[in-house]
Amino acid sequence: MKGLGTLKRCAVLAISCTLLAGCWDRKEMDDIALVMASAIDQLGDGQIELSLQIALPTGIPGTLQTGGKGQKPVLVVAVKGKNAHELIGQAQQQLSRKLFFGHRGVIIFGEEYARRGITEVLDTLLRFPDSRYNSFFLTARGASAKEILTTPYHLELIPAIGMKIMQNSQYTVGVKIDRFLDHLAADGTMPYSGAIRIVKDAQGEPTFQIDQVAVYRENKLAGYLSGKSLQAFKMIKGMGKGMKLTAEVEPKGPETQGTITADVLSVRSKIRAFYVKGTPSFDLTVNVDSRGLANDSTLDISKTPNLLRAEKALTDELNERLTDLLTLTQREFKSDVVGFGRELHIEHPKAWKKLKKRWTDLYPEVPVRVRARVHLERIGRTQAPGHLELPE
Amino acid sequence: MFVFRRWLRKRSGKLPAAMRDWTEPGTEFAQDPQANLKLLEKTFENCSDVVFQNVKLPGEREALLIYLDGMVDRQLLDQQMRLGAVARDRGGAPASPGKLAEELDSRLGTGGTRTVNTLGEFAKGVMGGQVGVVLDGEPCILIVGAGRPPSRSVEEPQAETLIRGPREGFIEQIQTNMALLRKRFPTTRLKMEPFTVGELSDTKVVVAYLEGIATDSVVLEVRNRIARIRIDGIVESGYVEEFIEDLPFSPFPQVLNTERPDVVAAHLLEGRVAILIGGTPFALLVPMTFWSGLQSAEDYYERFPIGTFLRWIRFAHLLIALFLPSVYVAISTFHQEMIPTNLLMSIAGAREANPFPALVEVLLMEITFEALREAGVRLPKQVGAAVSIVGALVIGQAAVQAGIISAPMVIVVAVTGIANFSIPRFNFAASIRLLRFPMILLAGTLGLFGIGIGLLGILIHLCSLRSFGIPYFSPVAPLSFGGLKDVVIRSPHWAMKLRPRLTGYQDPVRVPEGQMPRPGASGKQGNQGGGAP
Repeated sequence: MKGLGTLKRCAVLAISCTLLAGCWDRKEMDDIALVMASAIDQLGDGQIELSLQIALPTGIPGTLQTGGKGQKPVLVVAVKGKNAHELIGQAQQQLSRKLFFGHRGVIIFGEEYARRGITEVLDTLLRFPDSRYNSFFLTARGASAKEILTTPYHLELIPAIGMKIMQNSQYTVGVKIDRFLDHLAADGTMPYSGAIRIVKDAQGEPTFQIDQVAVYRENKLAGYLSGKSLQAFKMIKGMGKGMKLTAEVEPKGPETQGTITADVLSVRSKIRAFYVKGTPSFDLTVNVDSRGLANDSTLDISKTPNLLRAEKALTDELNERLTDLLTLTQREFKSDVVGFGRELHIEHPKAWKKLKKRWTDLYPEVPVRVRARVHLERIGRTQAPGHLELPE
Repeated sequence: MFVFRRWLRKRSGKLPAAMRDWTEPGTEFAQDPQANLKLLEKTFENCSDVVFQNVKLPGEREALLIYLDGMVDRQLLDQQMRLGAVARDRGGAPASPGKLAEELDSRLGTGGTRTVNTLGEFAKGVMGGQVGVVLDGEPCILIVGAGRPPSRSVEEPQAETLIRGPREGFIEQIQTNMALLRKRFPTTRLKMEPFTVGELSDTKVVVAYLEGIATDSVVLEVRNRIARIRIDGIVESGYVEEFIEDLPFSPFPQVLNTERPDVVAAHLLEGRVAILIGGTPFALLVPMTFWSGLQSAEDYYERFPIGTFLRWIRFAHLLIALFLPSVYVAISTFHQEMIPTNLLMSIAGAREANPFPALVEVLLMEITFEALREAGVRLPKQVGAAVSIVGALVIGQAAVQAGIISAPMVIVVAVTGIANFSIPRFNFAASIRLLRFPMILLAGTLGLFGIGIGLLGILIHLCSLRSFGIPYFSPVAPLSFGGLKDVVIRSPHWAMKLRPRLTGYQDPVRVPEGQMPRPGASGKQGNQGGGAP
């Protein structure tokens, strides 16, 4: 080095840094296999099965290359083995391109696998530098995860992208890895994820639908929320906007169903925790602002008494749903998926210290007072419904 | 490297130590007319454009006119000689050359007639387009003013076209260029200091500035740097530019050049210094800043929102021209997770049949593009169309269809090319063009980290660069908020009240207060300013 100028010294240093350090993680786009979704299933013999949905770029139309037509846009690879890392290695042995998990949008757990516990996969996910924390977790219902991955979906080229878009919308409950892990690790709340199942479309072809929520107890699947209890769950979790609430305001008439439907504009839910004489209890308040969406009754809700009656009916309906949900999570799932424990932790940290260890066992017996209130902000019309008789 | 250095040393050993002195010998004319004639003939030997013309003057006197064919207006010469002859006639006795010269000088409209005693001076005068007169073989007279060197007329500048703005451009003749400037500033505060550079070419160089506005230290520096130049000949302004730059090895130009007198005028008003050079229509402007490379004269001629918008477009395109290919390479070979899934799919689909790594692909395309551009510039206009056909067909279509180059890469290179064209100063755009290649290499080896290193390097260099003592990156670094209103935006002329902080600030006010036009402001306030009534 003697006799070289500063500039040359720097150049030598820079060149040797780039060439000798071996930090060369260049991977060309045509050398990688883009994993769009992965699925994990429990097999009968104690092995687990990993399925990967891999995008085939040649199958994507719209490029100048011809021959893309008729080709499938995805490939599903499935391997069996003992643990997740070993499985990835096995899958790699089937592929000429390097597996690339950077674009994995969804991770699906088979129902059976989820019931056995998902800790091991979570560990793999956490250690695996390639996996992104913004992939969605989904739990399969009534089918193995592999079946869901192989189900065709026609609206998007790649089914996994379809799932991801569905999960991003407000119509499904989407839980990404980071939130799931957060719920799992935090005291006083339990994780949940969207649940996906296979349904038949109008032509009788199978397709998938994400309309439920899988509730976990610690790392094990406890059960599914669907229908009204799912609605109540979304209300509490602040995802209620756009939801429809239907309540009966009068007995079914000859021409009318006697129901009023409201479109939820905003939800404010609040949990208050109390700790009195060593026993915790909770207040669950849900305030809903809504607008009238449909009036299938003889009531003219532009009149104040009728409006109040409608609000009362809607409030009762919501109350019932919330109570049902709580019964379900407390009695059946025994899982504090709503997060009452977390609230207790915030409001009564000292009490929480004592109860923390036993909280999972305590939760099913905790009293919760439900206080719902639905407010019809707008009646949704500027005039009386057409089917009501006009005053003479 | 080592061999090269040895070779250099060997070569330099052969070079003569000092430059040859090219000034004409100072031989004095002899008394003997025949000897003088011989001397003159010897001096102008083999200069076939020198004309020796014998003229018979009334009164039995003979005159020998020596001048350059093509550099002298013959009609004017005839007329002048006749006038001179008349002058002598009236005086009666034949006048001595000195007398004749005086008389001619007072009679002729052109002026500048004088006698010279040395051969060197005489030869220099004749070569400069003056007419030498040898009267009866006596020592010589020079007539100035009959010279009319060939030149073109003032035309619209080719390299900097505007939609709105003056159509005049500088030409090769420096006198015309000076007149074009003086026309814009009919004041004695516009100073034009003459210099002569080039031992053989004797090129006229004029340093123009507005006295009292231009910073004295900058003017002094320009003077010093130009006076320091020792070279055989100046052919174009680029010769001068390379001698007066601050940092010759920087990729960025530190001297602005322009063909437009209006651009020079605008810069003079901001306290900058212009250097006009004989024989070229390009004038140099110093000091230059980074941002003036991104400004077009039209920014100031169109209304200010348009100017501001165009500036932002150019900032964006500067970044695109510099970074787009390298970012594409970095992201598509190192950071695929950063591309939105759908975009990644289409890029991956397009790249599927492609045999080259992205780095090789981008270098291939960029080099081809540069070759196409170069070919388009150099080719005669009649053949030029062929280049675009070949370029569009071969690169645009065939390469993609053959699967050698991917379609997104063609888009990237094309967008980069267009972005580069949107930089108004050619030499500035060329430096961005050059810097693109190291950036691509960095991106191809180190990914976004490499781009970060490259960007930092460029920024550090820009911040430490100076042009004639003025920081190149000013007014952004060092920051001066007042200056930003001519960089980030183009504020209206009535709002640009002060000259730039680092040039022309010894007389800072350009526009007095309260010039913003508004209803009812005229008449009551005059232009003295001071708020609404």
